[in-house]
Amino acid sequence: MNKRLIGATIALVLSGTAHAQAPAPDNLEKLSNFQSTGTTEFTVIEQGGDYAAGIKKTLDGITLPPGFKIGLYAIVPDARHIAVGPQGVVVFVGTRKDKVWSVTDRNKDRVADEVKDFAPSLRFAIPNGPCFSPDGMLYIAEQNRVLTFPAAEFFYESPDVAAFNVIKQGDLIPPAEESYNHTARVCKIGPDGKLYISLGQPFNVSPPEKLDLYRDHGIGGIIRINTDGTEREVYTYGVRNSVGHDFHPETGELWWTDNQVDGMGDEIPPGEINHQTAAGQHFGHPWYGGGDVRTNEYAGQDVPYDVVMPAVETVAHAADLGMSFYTGKMFPAKYKNAIFSAQHGSWNRTTPVGARVMVTFIDAEGNASIEPFAEGWIDENDEYLGRPVDVAQLRDGSIIVSDDLAGALYRIWYEGN
Amino acid sequence: MRILMIALLGGLLPAGVLFAQNSDVPASKATADQITDDLKDGRKVAGMCRTCHGLDGKARIPIAPHIGGETVDYLMAQLHAFKSGEREHEMMTVVARGLSAAQIRDVATWFNHFDVVTTLPAGKTEDDAPELCVGCHGVNGISDLPDAPNLAGETNIYIETQIKAFRTGKRKHDVMTPIAKDLTDAEMQQASDWYSQINIKITDPSEK
Repeated sequence: MNKRLIGATIALVLSGTAHAQAPAPDNLEKLSNFQSTGTTEFTVIEQGGDYAAGIKKTLDGITLPPGFKIGLYAIVPDARHIAVGPQGVVVFVGTRKDKVWSVTDRNKDRVADEVKDFAPSLRFAIPNGPCFSPDGMLYIAEQNRVLTFPAAEFFYESPDVAAFNVIKQGDLIPPAEESYNHTARVCKIGPDGKLYISLGQPFNVSPPEKLDLYRDHGIGGIIRINTDGTEREVYTYGVRNSVGHDFHPETGELWWTDNQVDGMGDEIPPGEINHQTAAGQHFGHPWYGGGDVRTNEYAGQDVPYDVVMPAVETVAHAADLGMSFYTGKMFPAKYKNAIFSAQHGSWNRTTPVGARVMVTFIDAEGNASIEPFAEGWIDENDEYLGRPVDVAQLRDGSIIVSDDLAGALYRIWYEGN
Repeated sequence: MRILMIALLGGLLPAGVLFAQNSDVPASKATADQITDDLKDGRKVAGMCRTCHGLDGKARIPIAPHIGGETVDYLMAQLHAFKSGEREHEMMTVVARGLSAAQIRDVATWFNHFDVVTTLPAGKTEDDAPELCVGCHGVNGISDLPDAPNLAGETNIYIETQIKAFRTGKRKHDVMTPIAKDLTDAEMQQASDWYSQINIKITDPSEK
């Protein structure tokens, strides 16, 4: 990226943040004013060694359709959602802790060479969801703040980066509603240029006394805002805890996964991939626990909204998380515009299910069907060897999968036969 | 202050009221044979904990605490609180509701029987520990009190979440509620960061 472009981008940000409120009282204020924070240290993650060898052994046992291969791309502790830089320089990876990782493949052998923390002078809180705009602005959705980093693929080399509030600390949700669970936010920029952010609701089933408050803030929903934080609106209602969404490459419509109610048995309710066709649609929580299964808490009650049923029902409790439409040229033609999604794996089912990468094909009428794509992360003793979280596409058309149990990124590519 | 707090807690300990409601012998006084049986039964119950807490009590996800080596009293008290609804968590409420008093005792005994070894982060000394917390939670995050949890190696955001829960009344405790209400955000972050940076190793003493 040349310097003029960076200057232009920053000018854009500065004018864009004129509406935003006062920066938080930490290093963010300095970074927003392009001041040094004095931070000089990065945490650099060792690649290779015994730990990598252990992961590679697991990958030997992963099954894929013919012609596909999987390999270790990077060791990334607590790896959650992925944002691939539009210039192909850096992959940013969120966590449910206090770090965001930058992953670079300098020699372009399709294996990362360097993994270090991004913006180490900032104190992140659950920075699970990074996403990029096409012009190279990185957004990070945290527990209760949304930040933007212009030219992040350029500035990441320094401990001090340019950083600005999109939604300042405490304004994403009311602080009294903060939780640690169901707080893995994800974001994407829509075809309308707006920023879409998922807001999980913190309960197994939302209690009645919270419903009005949650509806106002889009908790248990997906919100959208302009990239300067203005014109916030609730785009999606009736969500339990969505941790993955993407826009169809041709229709531009939003598809998203949802995690469904626990404690109703091993086989119900189904997990979901949903297809939204208009702003403001309602998808059923808390009256529905997943698919058309009614929750015990709201059994027999009239549902006060028209509810959109899921496009795909997935196996109960598999925990469908991150998803991406495939637009690359590397894979066979049938994968064009298919959804690759990650199942994290069940946490309290008698026999675990999930821990695999799924693919969903959508036909010309919009009917969707799902099938396993990469599996083998549950061993013969029902122990998890890995738990996939998100799927993203690299510029060469291969895909990378994050795993927060092993702490790794995998790359899946097509070689043919 | 430290002495005062311990005295206070000492007075609270009979608050193992939960034991009194069980007809079972308190685990801390059980005979060696009973403990062996409890361990076997506890290991079975722990099958439903392991995806998040690990079979050895070393958490596999950041939102879950490490519970290996935790006291039986603390683990039982929390499970009963989740079961009764006194403490609420989207996952733990679902799990605890289905547990009998005997299963709670067994699983607490299982996770208690592990040993925890801690290491301070490089470049830090015991003097860097948060003074307000060490009386109950220890310099290294290993508590000597049956009623105070270990904090060593927990994710800082987990610790902050609990402090905030004491502040807002979602969790209640005679000692922690007033402490949490008096903490500044900076103090809360400093204490959470200290304990989260302590390295822990959890081992099963019966496998030595």
